[in-house]
Amino acid sequence: MLKTIVIRVALGLLTLWAVSILIFGATEILPGDVASAVLGQGATPETLAVFRHELGLDRPSYVRYLEWFFNALHGDLGIAMTNKRVIVETIAPRLSNTLFLAGYAALIAVPTSVVLGIVAAINEGKFVDRFVNIISLMTISVPEFFIAYVLILYLAVQFEVFPSLSTVFPEMEFSEKIYMAALPAFTLTMLVMAHMLRMTRTSVLSIMSQPYIEMAFLKGLTRSQVIVRHALPNAAAPIISVIALNLAYLIVGVVVIEVVFVYPGIGQFMVDGVAKRDLPVVQACGLIFAGAFVGLNTVADVLAIMVNPRLRHPR
Amino acid sequence: MRGATKKGIAVEEYNKLKHMFDKGALSRRDFMAGVAMIGAGMAVTPSLLSGTAQAATPKVGGNFIIGMEGGSATDSLDPRTYSDSVMIGASLAVYNCMVEFDSNGNPTGELLESWEAKPGAKEWIFNVRKGVKFSNGKTLTADDIIYSIGIHRGETKSPAKGILKQITEIKKINDNQIQMTLEGGNADFPVILGDYHLVVVPDGFTDWQKPIGTGGYTLEKFEPGVGLKFKRRGDYWKAGRANFETVEIRNIQDVAARTAALQSGQVHAANRLDPRTVNLLMKDKKLNVVRTKGTGNRFCFVSRVTDAPFDNKDLRTALKYGIDRQKIIDQVYSGFATPGNDHTLDAGNPFYNTSLPQRKYDPDKAAFHFKKAGLGNAKIELQASEGAWGSAVDCAQLYQESLKKAGINLDVKKVSADGYWDNVWLKVPFCAVYWGRRLSADQTFTQVYSSASDWNDSNWKRPEFDKLITEARAELDQKKRKEMYWKAQEMISDDGGMICFAITDYLDGYAKNVVNNEPHARYDLNDQRIAEKGSFA
Repeated sequence: MLKTIVIRVALGLLTLWAVSILIFGATEILPGDVASAVLGQGATPETLAVFRHELGLDRPSYVRYLEWFFNALHGDLGIAMTNKRVIVETIAPRLSNTLFLAGYAALIAVPTSVVLGIVAAINEGKFVDRFVNIISLMTISVPEFFIAYVLILYLAVQFEVFPSLSTVFPEMEFSEKIYMAALPAFTLTMLVMAHMLRMTRTSVLSIMSQPYIEMAFLKGLTRSQVIVRHALPNAAAPIISVIALNLAYLIVGVVVIEVVFVYPGIGQFMVDGVAKRDLPVVQACGLIFAGAFVGLNTVADVLAIMVNPRLRHPR
Repeated sequence: MRGATKKGIAVEEYNKLKHMFDKGALSRRDFMAGVAMIGAGMAVTPSLLSGTAQAATPKVGGNFIIGMEGGSATDSLDPRTYSDSVMIGASLAVYNCMVEFDSNGNPTGELLESWEAKPGAKEWIFNVRKGVKFSNGKTLTADDIIYSIGIHRGETKSPAKGILKQITEIKKINDNQIQMTLEGGNADFPVILGDYHLVVVPDGFTDWQKPIGTGGYTLEKFEPGVGLKFKRRGDYWKAGRANFETVEIRNIQDVAARTAALQSGQVHAANRLDPRTVNLLMKDKKLNVVRTKGTGNRFCFVSRVTDAPFDNKDLRTALKYGIDRQKIIDQVYSGFATPGNDHTLDAGNPFYNTSLPQRKYDPDKAAFHFKKAGLGNAKIELQASEGAWGSAVDCAQLYQESLKKAGINLDVKKVSADGYWDNVWLKVPFCAVYWGRRLSADQTFTQVYSSASDWNDSNWKRPEFDKLITEARAELDQKKRKEMYWKAQEMISDDGGMICFAITDYLDGYAKNVVNNEPHARYDLNDQRIAEKGSFA
């Protein structure tokens, strides 16, 4: 088991390194560079040349990549080319905001989806099942900014229950942050619930056709007992994978929510960095996102093995 | 020549009187008497006076929050990187410029209290305001001004470098006087010094993350792309300005989020309201919409006159008649714009050519000129993108429709917003572009249409035009100047490659209790100085 984890982590690090090269290459290929992006309409050949020389952009790309890589190994993610700020210091609050929002949404979404999925599976074909399915499909089909605007219109402008601007600051109290970030958290919950809910339901139902389940019924157990004690542990693996995928999405995929609610997360930060071709910023964000995906997937794999006794002790 | 000397002295005298009036040392009646005595013949506009009178008794206090579009996570308070609203607004809270503009767009002294031009408008003497302190206690001297200009000259990445090229020498006369020599006469030189990049910092200053300026506020917090927080300094040298106890600028790029924040009272001011919903906001009793008419951004489609087929004047004329300006204004801007007349000067400028008939949509004339151009059924390609401005593609599509009625086929190619200003503008034969307002006719014509300009996007080079504007630049006789600029507008509108179809209004929203937020001839949010000029009622 330990061997599996070690191999997984090593492969994960290799993936991160490959991702860093890909991001560097992709940003280099994009037209324009940080000088022309920052100066915009105000750029002239002379000002561009000065800007580039100041940042060392006139050196060949492999030199710049290796310099960045070497520094990154020491934990120094560099300085933003556009405003000369230390990246680790600027990213840290944005990353913690994103993790806060992701955690907030996950805490509501994951238990709700799994429980509702099990309920739907237990009551397969009945009204509860159909109702839950339809509602979850509706929320995932509607674009997230639409849900966001509807929530803002009713809960922030007309009834002033929550604030429409969810900008949180580090010095805020925890309870205040919960209040400010309520609307984006609800929107995100609605976004990710459908996938987890339906996967739980499908996974559980597919196990239900197994012979040992029929045996359990014949023994006299009720439907809920059978599902919770016998079906769920075997169905856990795909459910855990889907949860991991959605958690990763909550970290990397919520730029639209950040824009609509003006929430200072890492998504908008990366988009601004790409728009201005600020390479160290883009690299740093790319690493964090890739790390989130790789990390969460590794944890999911390990958990899946641990939950299933047959995989824990392979014969 | 004599007239020039008189005018120089007259400007100085006038500025002295105005300064005394601002400080309250002179009553309005005495001020008017003084001006009459100078015989400067200067139009003292009522709004100029009422602006200063209002500033005499504003209420101090309150936490003012502005929700603004125009910022990004890559922002910095280094004046050489300024390009958009959030940084300009933040800059004018902690720094001052050398020259300020009144509501009509006329230059008045800020840190350069007054000035005088020697005959020929090539040599200028500027007087540095006395008794102004930076937020670190240091007193303002000529060295600070010279350094602050210097970072935008020579080997620099600053976009202001181009406009300062005309300065050949800056010399310190004493701690409070500076002489500047230009390469050619320029009667509007003080206007150049009012550029928003040219803020004043202490001599040798480079720590842009902890700015030290002479402005009314000090910076408390700055998170690029998120917002800034300022605190009132208390010892600001301008009486009646910087009245809020604290000011917060929140960067809100999404217009729906910004409008919702204004409506729910989370911000007291918002810029760039959506013209499609602003009529509803005007009905809201808790809000006040301030509209700046006719002096906003100019929206254009520009063709390069050196690239075929746009080198054909008949084609260019056809394209100018083939655009339905009013329809675009009604549909895209909900009526909140004035039609452009194919040059970038607006009616607010004293040199605007009022005799030039406003070109209107005429499909017959367009078809006639297109046939005369002899291009058969050739397709014309126009490149547009949201990267040019938000509704550029919509405008292009309406243009396509209106050209079709004239029998001209326009192919609208939608290109990526990313990198638009690098790869499309100034490069492709026909594309979309917008221009901000320049405060002098000279700057408008020189930056956009002169042969030497890096930004002559129509690549229209005419030596007679260059000669005309160079002469006009140094001409101190206003009547002669007007004639020259009128001719210049005629030339551009007739022969140029630019189709300037709309000049949009600025639409700002305020909570009802915010005052001193009048429209300004230059930028929105009271020339981006709402933090400095505004107050709560």
